[in-house]
Amino acid sequence: MDFAFTDEEEGFRAELRAFLAEELPAWWRGMFVDDPRALPFTRAFCAKLAARGWLTMAWPRAYGGQDASPWKQAILREEMWAHEEPRGPQYMNLNYIGPCVMRFGSEAQKRRFLPSMAAGAVVWTQGFSEPGAGSDLAAIATRAEERGDHFVVDGQKTWNSYADAPADWCFLLARTTPGAARHAGLSVLLVDMRTPGITVRPIGSMAGPHELNEIFFDGVRVPRDCLLGERDRGWEVVTAGLTFERVGVARYARAGRVLELLVEHVKRTGQAADPTVRQQLAELRVRCEAARLLNYRAISLQARGGVPRVEASIARLHNTQLEQAVGHAGLELLGLAGALTHDAPDTPLGGLVWRQWVRNIPSTIAAGTTEVQKNIIARHGLGLPPSS
Amino acid sequence: MDLTPTPEQEQLVRSARAFLARACPPAHVRAMEADAPGFSAALWREIAGLGWPGMALPAQYGGGGLGFLDVALLLEEMGRVLLPSPFVATAVLGAPLVLAAGSEEQRRRWLPRLAAGDAIATLALVEPGWRDEWGAATARVHAGRVSGTKRFVPVAAAADLLLVAVENGGLVAVERGAPGVECARQATLDGGHVYEVRFADTPAEALPGPAGAALARARLHAAVAALAFSAGAAERVLEMTVEHAKTRVQFGRPIGGFQAVAHRCADMRSDLDALRWLVYQAAWALDAGRPGELEVGAAKAYGSDALRRLFMHAHQVHGAIGFSTEHDLQLFTRRAKATELAWGSATLHRERVARAMGL
Repeated sequence: MDFAFTDEEEGFRAELRAFLAEELPAWWRGMFVDDPRALPFTRAFCAKLAARGWLTMAWPRAYGGQDASPWKQAILREEMWAHEEPRGPQYMNLNYIGPCVMRFGSEAQKRRFLPSMAAGAVVWTQGFSEPGAGSDLAAIATRAEERGDHFVVDGQKTWNSYADAPADWCFLLARTTPGAARHAGLSVLLVDMRTPGITVRPIGSMAGPHELNEIFFDGVRVPRDCLLGERDRGWEVVTAGLTFERVGVARYARAGRVLELLVEHVKRTGQAADPTVRQQLAELRVRCEAARLLNYRAISLQARGGVPRVEASIARLHNTQLEQAVGHAGLELLGLAGALTHDAPDTPLGGLVWRQWVRNIPSTIAAGTTEVQKNIIARHGLGLPPSS
Repeated sequence: MDLTPTPEQEQLVRSARAFLARACPPAHVRAMEADAPGFSAALWREIAGLGWPGMALPAQYGGGGLGFLDVALLLEEMGRVLLPSPFVATAVLGAPLVLAAGSEEQRRRWLPRLAAGDAIATLALVEPGWRDEWGAATARVHAGRVSGTKRFVPVAAAADLLLVAVENGGLVAVERGAPGVECARQATLDGGHVYEVRFADTPAEALPGPAGAALARARLHAAVAALAFSAGAAERVLEMTVEHAKTRVQFGRPIGGFQAVAHRCADMRSDLDALRWLVYQAAWALDAGRPGELEVGAAKAYGSDALRRLFMHAHQVHGAIGFSTEHDLQLFTRRAKATELAWGSATLHRERVARAMGL
């Protein structure tokens, strides 16, 4: 076991930080803020990352990547998340949509979809949840009926981030064989969002625009060559994708950055001498350390060719609960001024702590609720019977 | 960065687990709670034969030259079976203190015997009224003799070498059989063998090296060692708890099929994994010669709180049987509580973390 980064890795982190200091405009507050500059900025930023070879650093060389070590990838994710994820919607492409295409896609699909992701030129949205299928994802009702060289999709998806950005493509889970056992009749389709019959309706979210949408599919024709993996084996694709997603987000790094800024804040205000404040901030630091190490453990397994399923769920539990704790404790430390949003003058830390709180209300819900993660740990990690 | 154990570490863990499962059944743990000196001399000889007491000492003093992380992994295995032994007193406290603060002559005199398991060492640190191990020692030294009262001294009655923390941050050595030493066992909740030791004009030999720094370091090692032992114990308790949840049938099904129960077990897994890797990181940081305040502080702050949560979940899932002395769970629970209280509470270590954060 080795708990240190190499000098080369630390050098890479320093290089990234210098790049971010140069590139991030003062107004940058992350996505989901009501600022029309945000989305175009993320596109331009991703193109710059791509030009330096950093956007798809994690990918194999064969697909336009650099085969970067998992630890360099982790450092990249940490620095991005610590700076309000300037890759915007595209982190999803890099973390799991691209890797799913590499793993399950045909050669033609790889040639078709990966280069635009690698160039930082495309926005994807994810079509999983439905009004009647949230935690019970296998209960989805959206149909994709095979008719020779194409599928016809009918149904409704919801909670689709960035669908209104507008998204170029949708990573869609649909039922191809009705009546099959719940997990058996599902498939993943890669759907061009400009296809006739698709309607996107934004849903207001507590965090801001682009976060939530619903997508209606009405007789949408999807060519058969947009089926990812085998027909009726989509559950495998989605399970792999969600595992990439759980490890692929350095939530602890953002929480850690907010914590650092809170420490500077309490030093300025004189709260740093208050024993209760010291205990609170230290507790968050400790939990941050736990979350970081559990992510690193999952990455260590990946680096050796394993698939960290239970480990990914454990890491996610720690990460999401930490994020929420930092938001709650941070607002308490700011006191009444914590209620000021980023639009108000004199907002402490530019509203960072408010955003930390509000954006992380759904952290324990998205990509598998806390309860779903615990079911995975209990069943697959401990061998307990399926829960009810 | 790589958070997986090396093949050598995996081998160490495997062989230790096999040996200890045979050598230390629960009946042995129960028996040793009552028997003086609290461990089996025959079993200690066997353990010495495996090279464990000196595993982290330099080869020149008869040691195995391994790191503290290896010691922590071994301690996890000892914790799984709640091994009663003078290992921590000798290999984590005594020998490293001699190595760090002893003269070359003292090292050569004591360390090979400690490494071989031929002698047992311990640290007499805590004094009456101390709430934790970070007090300022007042035991007095005058003309090569020490006087004062020490408490919570592990395996004192069996120790061949007592290292005594004295006034002005000093450290002196008292050998077995020295006059003016009185030893009385203290009854503690974990059934451990700790003693109040009174020194009255007892002949003592000063350790001339940087004793204060050595003691500061020893506290960190001891905190990590206690946590590693308890992490191993908690791993075993999680197995027991899951087994109970799978086999105990109520309302016509195994209780592990109810989410309310299953999620407690999942919380135990999640807390325990965090604890284990925080412990490994802390041990690694000490091996790497880092100050360790942050890493050890994080481990002990998290660990003390996590052990509480873990063991209360274990009791809740076990139900009434877990509170009975016939069941083994109570053996583990009482020792975990002792770990929580020893070598700094969560609150103490959070304050140390706060300082390391620049607060």
